[in-house]
Amino acid sequence: MDNLKKTRRQYHIRLLIAFFISGVLPLAVYIGIKKTVGLHNDYYGSAIALALVLLMSLFMASILARSLITPLKTLWELIISYSPQSNVQQPKIETLKIGREMVANLSMQVFKLASAADTNQQAQSAQLISLSNDFVANKLPLPLFVLDASETIIFANTPASDYVGMPNKDIIGKNFYMVMDMSFPSENTLDHWLKEVTVNTATASTSWERVKLNVLDNHPTRLFDLAAFYNKDNPNHYETMLVLFDHTKQYSQDDQAISFVALSVHELRTPLTLLRGYIEALDDELDTKNSNDPELKKFMENMRATAQQLTAFVNNILNVARVNNDQLELELHEENWAEILNSAVNAIRLRAKVRGIEIETTIAPDLPTVGVDRLSIYEVISNLIDNAIKYSGESKTIKIESHLNNDGMVETNVQDFGLGISSSIMPNLFTKFYRDHRNRSQIGGTGLGLYLSKAIVDAHGGVIWVRSTIGKGSIFGFTLIPFTQLAEEIKNSDNKDIVRGAHGWIKNHSLYRR
Amino acid sequence: MEPDKPGEQMTKKVLCIEDEHFIGELYKRTLDRSGYDTTLEVDGVKGLSLAQTDQYDIILLDLMVPNLTGIEILRTLRDSSKTPHLKAKIIIITNLDQRDDIRQEIEKQADGYVVKAELTPKELVEFLDNVA
Repeated sequence: MDNLKKTRRQYHIRLLIAFFISGVLPLAVYIGIKKTVGLHNDYYGSAIALALVLLMSLFMASILARSLITPLKTLWELIISYSPQSNVQQPKIETLKIGREMVANLSMQVFKLASAADTNQQAQSAQLISLSNDFVANKLPLPLFVLDASETIIFANTPASDYVGMPNKDIIGKNFYMVMDMSFPSENTLDHWLKEVTVNTATASTSWERVKLNVLDNHPTRLFDLAAFYNKDNPNHYETMLVLFDHTKQYSQDDQAISFVALSVHELRTPLTLLRGYIEALDDELDTKNSNDPELKKFMENMRATAQQLTAFVNNILNVARVNNDQLELELHEENWAEILNSAVNAIRLRAKVRGIEIETTIAPDLPTVGVDRLSIYEVISNLIDNAIKYSGESKTIKIESHLNNDGMVETNVQDFGLGISSSIMPNLFTKFYRDHRNRSQIGGTGLGLYLSKAIVDAHGGVIWVRSTIGKGSIFGFTLIPFTQLAEEIKNSDNKDIVRGAHGWIKNHSLYRR
Repeated sequence: MEPDKPGEQMTKKVLCIEDEHFIGELYKRTLDRSGYDTTLEVDGVKGLSLAQTDQYDIILLDLMVPNLTGIEILRTLRDSSKTPHLKAKIIIITNLDQRDDIRQEIEKQADGYVVKAELTPKELVEFLDNVA
């Protein structure tokens, strides 16, 4: 401000001097000439003197005007050069001969104004960015929380407050764990993770699945996935950011589906257990009482076979539920394929026998060992043979054959000489039976078994297919990968010491390796 | 199915905790005929206290029994502070498909697992003959 006053004073003085020099001084010179020369009545002489004085006055005025205008011009250029998008170069004040100090002072003011305008503009745009941040976060259709270093909520968007069921103002400033009472599926909780990252890292991110939100009053429990981002010492205190993905519907549906199927299967299995137990006990009694009535023996066999088939069907229901829920877990072990195939065929032979069907097995010698999950692959064989039995019609033979094919895979074929399958329904054979209502009666109950067999063979890395001719029968074939090809994978996984059999498992025992 | 000849080998004692009366009966009948000495118990709490007080070679444990679940019994039996001198092998017998977490726990804690519907009583005996 002082500078500005000084500049103004300088400018006034300059104006006075200019007025004096260009106006008063020529007038004084004119009067002086008139007095000394005494040109009282000499009009001619007076006119010359007046013209001289006027000329002088003009000359002086032009010099003075330049001395005033040059700094003004410099100032003008200076202001223009500061204005946005101008091409004018900033003038050099040092080169000024007249009014350098004044222009320097004024330019200082211009500079101050310009930088003030700049700051203002930056502040405005900064405010815009922060506004748009809030805007986006609020429109984000996912609950979002921002916590500071003390795990206090400093921001929660609208979906977040909706999710928690509390107004936004009641959430902000509260401890996050007071607002969200969560159950994590494992030891690795948010609390645990935060404690670790705050010590060890600058930034980190992670996520959890199936986190449960425990709500106090009668609200239904919520299940969600949680994603977290941590940023140490954020200048705005945005230390932890949390996004919730609500999967209550999906997760609880899954759980219900599993428990429904599991419970239904349990209800079916209990009477089956008894049925099979009593059939066996009855058979024993017949033996001990030496009853050789062939018809009775035949009835017993039929009952045993039927109960077995029902058990297999119940397992199919359970396994289809597992496939649908992505829960079909396989443990691949090195197995002798001939031994597995024979043992599975023997288990099902009774079912064929009671229908008068003979199963012929041809297995190539020296087959490489295969990497299979015994329990699951048993079901594939069992389903394919059950299928062949159903389709055999009047034919009384089923042929099973296994060899190493040209692709180096262990190929197994189950062949019946029965009805054959119409080409129109072949594409649907390996899909679930209830999907195509028109073909249901034609396919019978096999759709479930074949769907499952495909899922299991696929999971083993093999291929399953069918070839069929109406009236001549069908061949269902599948391949398995030799164990050597899977060895690398097995090596990298945990070595399981549990041996699984078709009907259960025993720790550290080779019961099913006979 | 040879009956046990006394003196030839020690009779193996089996505790069968199973609430389905008929299944228990069938198992006892077949096991006893095969030379085992089988005790039946339908109640979870009573079954646990039997397992803790008497010595058995094998405990057949159903997962769905009244008053105490099979999993709880399994946990208590495997907790050496609650069951100090357990020498019995614990075989889970169930028809219920297990959730993954429970299945993993069973694999850790039990010596064997049987789906009842999959085995006839005789096949169960064959299975138990192989349990060391």
